[in-house]
Amino acid sequence: MKTDSQFEDADRFYEQLLDAHQGLSAEQSALLNARLILLLANQIGDTQVLEECIRAARATSS
Amino acid sequence: MNDKPGLRGGNFGASQPAAYRQVDFTNGYEFTQGTAYVLPQYPFVAPPELRSGQASLHPIVIVGGGITGLTLACCLARLGVAAVLLDEDNTVGVKGASSRGICYTQKSLEIFHKLGIYDRIAAKGTQWSVGRTFAGSDEVYSFDLSQQGLNNLSAQPAFINIQQFYIEGFLVERTLQLGHVDLRWQSRVIGFEQSGASATLTVETPEGDYQLQADHVIDATGSHSPFYQWTGATMQTKKGDDRWCIADVRFPKHPPTERHTWIEAPFNENRAVWQHKMADEVWRIDYQMAPNADPAYVSREDVVRARLQRQFGADVAVEIVWVGPYAYRSVCLDQLRVGCVFFIGDTAKVVSPFGARGGNTGVSDADNLAWKLACVVRRQAPPALLDSYNDERLEAAQENVLVTNRTARFLRAPEGLERIFRSAAIGLAKEYPFGRALINTGRMAVANAYSRSSICEAGCGTSMPNVRFGWRKAGEPLGTLNDLLNWANGHRLLLVFGHLKVVEMQKLSQLARLVPVRIVQVVRLPHFAQAREHVYDCFGHLKIAAKITRHGDKGWAVIRPDGYLAATGSAINARLSQVLQTSLAMAQRTPAALKH
Repeated sequence: MKTDSQFEDADRFYEQLLDAHQGLSAEQSALLNARLILLLANQIGDTQVLEECIRAARATSS
Repeated sequence: MNDKPGLRGGNFGASQPAAYRQVDFTNGYEFTQGTAYVLPQYPFVAPPELRSGQASLHPIVIVGGGITGLTLACCLARLGVAAVLLDEDNTVGVKGASSRGICYTQKSLEIFHKLGIYDRIAAKGTQWSVGRTFAGSDEVYSFDLSQQGLNNLSAQPAFINIQQFYIEGFLVERTLQLGHVDLRWQSRVIGFEQSGASATLTVETPEGDYQLQADHVIDATGSHSPFYQWTGATMQTKKGDDRWCIADVRFPKHPPTERHTWIEAPFNENRAVWQHKMADEVWRIDYQMAPNADPAYVSREDVVRARLQRQFGADVAVEIVWVGPYAYRSVCLDQLRVGCVFFIGDTAKVVSPFGARGGNTGVSDADNLAWKLACVVRRQAPPALLDSYNDERLEAAQENVLVTNRTARFLRAPEGLERIFRSAAIGLAKEYPFGRALINTGRMAVANAYSRSSICEAGCGTSMPNVRFGWRKAGEPLGTLNDLLNWANGHRLLLVFGHLKVVEMQKLSQLARLVPVRIVQVVRLPHFAQAREHVYDCFGHLKIAAKITRHGDKGWAVIRPDGYLAATGSAINARLSQVLQTSLAMAQRTPAALKH
């Protein structure tokens, strides 16, 4: 799992991400997030990396 | 409560004729408190038009004497170009609201260096380069701006914090010293009419109204400009419910000279806080308030003190210098030029304060426009050159609005999905470096690049740092790029790197006859110069700054009076001749000797 920034333009991505949720209900937003995670996971593909990402997301305290 | 005699130092109200309307507070600083600053006062002097009754014609009239208008005035004064500046007030700073911007970027400092006021700013202000961001009690990340990009090549530091009115005061004094620009105080523009190429302005003064005509009107009156209506300028506006309250304070025992930002400060109901030092040992503590908070309540002295005690402890002995609640909005004009009117500074765009992108971009607006006006007024360039002001500074304005709106959205993330993403980003940033890229507490202002300018080559249009070089072989004494720009006196600078053959020398002298340009050869030991005007690039910084590395040892760079790189190349040929003309919006012709 890479932990250094790979973003070409983090601010732009973040803005697009938030914009995508504009006008959605909580349930629609949750579904959008789920679809997005699955799409991005498919970009990664690598079993071990995906496992590490899931573990990291679960372990990170808020 | 608006009338605070201590801020003005005395008899301003008494000397004011009844007919002249006092200046209203602007920029939402209606509830200011404190009496610690005494601002200078400048006298009203009756202008010739008032005595003669004749509306005389001026090539350049600047309306508004804030940091942007005064920078333009000082730039023109340095170039020896005549102009008139009209300001409705008789002092610097927003009346009563003594502090506005505090944070000046390397690019602004380089411009002030060129104008001859940098040393005063450096002596008065506070240098900083380290910023730290916190969430709760954890540090999320830190940065050191002196280590970024080409920042460390400049003779000026990454940032200096200083109260805006000090810079304005220095600009006034420097302009008076240089001459050429007539600073007219207590002169309010109340009428505007454009006819043909010029405009007629009606000016209200304590001794009556008068009219003057102008070929170029530069509107630097700020975000409530009357020129919007007079010219029919259109704009894009966005306003939110985010509210802040500044407390400028002095401590007996103070925190480190770093920019500290909290996204979620436990001592401010988990809202954001900014902490920054400026001149006179004054600290700016800027607190995010509840959405739509009442400005009168949040700026009440007991409420401000309670807030400071929550942050610094119940026994903190702070002196409150100034308090100012504010709301912000973003505005961006669709065009920065309407007829003979040019919009600069806060009249061109208004941004939230995050990242110091307001005043600093105003200073660059002025520096961009000044040399172009000078070239056109001196008839060294066609009037079309002035259109490039809109191309370049509108791109900068739009970029700054975009960037600051993103920061505002991060800092005032509404409950729900946006707050959830922010919490996720903060959590990840504490654990992993990549998460820090998502934490947005302000992207610090930079010299904006011009990617769609008709007078810059593709890949150029970038600002060069004020690098050092040697005047002589031995290195000492050192000069900086600004020394060369000042010597060029409003002309472009053509730096030619490396050894020059006789035929190249001949081509260069032909170019110098064709277009207004100042040529300097740049050499590095063991090489020696062939041209009389030359410098030694003893650190190799001129070459890096001029992006010559891509052309090997030899090459040239065309540098504009505002320190921007217009073009670079390798051979002294027809393309160089062409670039020298297009970068001044001139019609092209190529001399015979340069065709090959």
